[in-house]
Amino acid sequence: MSNQKIEFDPDGFMKDPHLWNDEVALAIATEEGISEMSDDHWKLVRFIREYWLKHDLAPAVRLICQETGLGVRTMYKLFTAGPARGACRVAGLPKPDGCV
Amino acid sequence: MNATLESNNHRSDRVKRAIQVLSESMRGLAAFHVNACVRCGLCGDICHVHQAEPVPENLPGAKMSKVAAFYRRYHTLLGRVAPFLVGARDITESSLEELVEHVYGRCTACGRCSLHCSVGADIASVIKAGRNMLVAAGLVPPNLQAVVDNQLTTGNQMRITDQEIKDTANWIAGDLEMEMGLGQIEIPVDRQDVDFLYLVNPREIKFFPLSLMSAAGIFRVAGASWTMSSQFCDVTNYGLFSGDNQAAFQITQNVLDEAERLRVKRIILSECGHGFRSFRWEGPDWRGSPYPIEVRSVLELLLEYLEKGTVKVDPTRNPERVTLHDPCNLVRWGGLIEPQREILKRCVMEFVEMTPNRASNFCCGGGGGMLSMSEYGDRRTLSGKRKADQIRDTGAKIVATPCHNCADQLLDLTKKMKLGVSIQSVTELVYNAMVVP
Repeated sequence: MSNQKIEFDPDGFMKDPHLWNDEVALAIATEEGISEMSDDHWKLVRFIREYWLKHDLAPAVRLICQETGLGVRTMYKLFTAGPARGACRVAGLPKPDGCV
Repeated sequence: MNATLESNNHRSDRVKRAIQVLSESMRGLAAFHVNACVRCGLCGDICHVHQAEPVPENLPGAKMSKVAAFYRRYHTLLGRVAPFLVGARDITESSLEELVEHVYGRCTACGRCSLHCSVGADIASVIKAGRNMLVAAGLVPPNLQAVVDNQLTTGNQMRITDQEIKDTANWIAGDLEMEMGLGQIEIPVDRQDVDFLYLVNPREIKFFPLSLMSAAGIFRVAGASWTMSSQFCDVTNYGLFSGDNQAAFQITQNVLDEAERLRVKRIILSECGHGFRSFRWEGPDWRGSPYPIEVRSVLELLLEYLEKGTVKVDPTRNPERVTLHDPCNLVRWGGLIEPQREILKRCVMEFVEMTPNRASNFCCGGGGGMLSMSEYGDRRTLSGKRKADQIRDTGAKIVATPCHNCADQLLDLTKKMKLGVSIQSVTELVYNAMVVP
């Protein structure tokens, strides 16, 4: 991964979320079993990333779906592990709190 | 004697609090339990953590003995005068810090050891007393404590705002209208004078709305009068996991007060293992008095709908083989065992049990707060191995899981161990099979 060594916590979330870039996202996506990141994948990931940078919080699934125009069932097809352990992880967020 | 006096004077506040809480937590049969262990080692085969990583520290009896050593030191004669003879140990800053990994990091508080212990020792409750002590000492793992704090300060474990709860309810209702074609559907929030307050796992609002959507669809067909709350929507209670009885009480009481404010007749709990155990069984103990209101699981309500024919289902809509995971807190600790089975038998074509099942089922590996403690993530995954094997052996395509905490662990196991199954709540399967009139 370029020259930078990226570290992950045991849950697979980035230890330093600020080291995130497209290359890192692709590597995590591969781990998620996503063979190719489609435009819809990127749309979701970029929205989650930008929201987190602004609010220091993962966006709710309602916002993710409404802002990207994707249906909730479509989202689970894109990220089978769901928005938290799937999409948020690819977007380089730290692990969200609670039952996730 | 002088040395003892001196060490007493230098005891930090957190050590003093821990000693105090230990004696409060270990009343009753504690002496029996800590002395009952005959070191037979059979508990190793009972515990999913030990099965996955068979080191002595993972023996349930060994975890219990860490707490028992403290108990002996302060509450037995030999422990007081000759601690080295009975393996008694001083409570100090460092011995408390050492305890953290044993009672939080190597145990999911699933209680399987207590059920199967060859001499009947309640191992899990003694380990729990260790957690109570660490709460008093302020040594709860920070990620777990953060969830408790979220619940106390914002009313839910994920810090979801009241506006977001209302917006999500409207959004889900909109999707539901399109799916069901029954005209306008409402997911009521903060409505007074209805039959029941529906508590959800905040995860259903924030990340996995399909279960809430399914419940709302079923309630629509059943003609239920219900509401969610924008202030206290949360069915979970992480005070149970951390061992913080005061916080657990407060979380329970907040919901009871909200139910009173909304003037509902009863509280219905969404599918949640520890939430059921907390609200149904532990709450009255934390309060020190019975509830003024009925509390039931949505599983009991769904079964009632099916039995009365209020909701009709067509099992051919769930043609794939389905197995059922028994959440420890719902089944082993909570005693809610058959309704989920009765529901599934009506709603799916092929239902198969895991082995073992019911009260003897294995923990998914994510319970007891484990899911929120990233520092133990590797062990959490590893200790899910037994569950993964159980699932594989059934050949099922769908794992029904009446607990959102278990669901997340099972999703993670599915991914990491390539199980090729879909994880669904019982409510989702009922909704899927429901015949919309």
